[in-house]
Amino acid sequence: MNTIYEFVTGPLAWLTWTAFFAGCAWRLASMYKLAKSKDTSSIAFMSWKYSLRSIAHWVTPFATLGWRKNPALTVATFLFHVLIFAVPIFLTAHVMLWDQFFGISFPAIPDPIGDYLTIVVIALCVFFAVRRLQDPNVRYITKKADWIALAIVFAPFMTGFLAFRQILDYDTMIILHILAGEIMLVAIPWTRLSHMVFAVFTRSYMGSEFGGVRHARDW
Amino acid sequence: MKRCLPILIVAVILAFSQLASSQEDMTVIAPDAFGKLTRPAATFVHDQHNEKAGVEDCVLCHHGGSDGVQDPESSTEGIPCADCHAVQPDKGTTGLSKAYHLQCISCHEQSGKGPLACGQCHVR
Repeated sequence: MNTIYEFVTGPLAWLTWTAFFAGCAWRLASMYKLAKSKDTSSIAFMSWKYSLRSIAHWVTPFATLGWRKNPALTVATFLFHVLIFAVPIFLTAHVMLWDQFFGISFPAIPDPIGDYLTIVVIALCVFFAVRRLQDPNVRYITKKADWIALAIVFAPFMTGFLAFRQILDYDTMIILHILAGEIMLVAIPWTRLSHMVFAVFTRSYMGSEFGGVRHARDW
Repeated sequence: MKRCLPILIVAVILAFSQLASSQEDMTVIAPDAFGKLTRPAATFVHDQHNEKAGVEDCVLCHHGGSDGVQDPESSTEGIPCADCHAVQPDKGTTGLSKAYHLQCISCHEQSGKGPLACGQCHVR
């Protein structure tokens, strides 16, 4: 147990972070190269002003027509994205580990609230899954890659919940939890989760085109 | 019921004898300084642990020190950990929970034995 635990929290963790950052850098660089060779005009019309305007517009809940059209999805989307960052970073057990491994300390989410928020994330994953199956429009454009992305995010929260509650074998669950988190980080650049690094650029692209080329609002 | 009574009496005596506990009877790490615990107290049977781990020198855990610097030579046996390690530590000093985590986990890492992950000590 100790050997496996030390391996997944030691060498494998460093390998994971390296793969994550290198993968993101590689994907960004190769996408830029592709845009430069295939879509030169898009780079020419990119504008800071309209990019930032569009990003600000779309990160505000209910500001856009798209967000207003489906309120339940809007609430679920914003809550989900805030929580999948806030919970892993500020969870008490993780704050303890930030201190143990890196010597940095900051305020933590108390255990019972962290437990509750984890259940919220799990419930939101179920909501997104049900939506993919139920809504004909979404079902039509859903591919295997979408399910993989959802499963990759679901796994660390589900195993974290089971490890915290000490349901099933704890020693196995904590290893699975760490591995699930590492799989997620490595997968971000190479799966649909890559929107984590690409979203600001796609939004900027749309914003710049609507603002600078079409001279229209980005709805 | 008559048969159970002597067993009950012994159980009650045993339970109360735990109140007047010394280190030999220590089974968990739950100093009063923590107040209400956020996790179940870490399991630690003092004598059994040290026998199993082959720890004979008290100073190995009961170290001294000042201003956030450990002195592995001066023994502080008998002084509660919380007397030096505050629950809310000042800058440059080690807090009580961190002191326990560092103490236990670093030794378990070095020896390759003993619990490392949260729930292995804080068993629900």
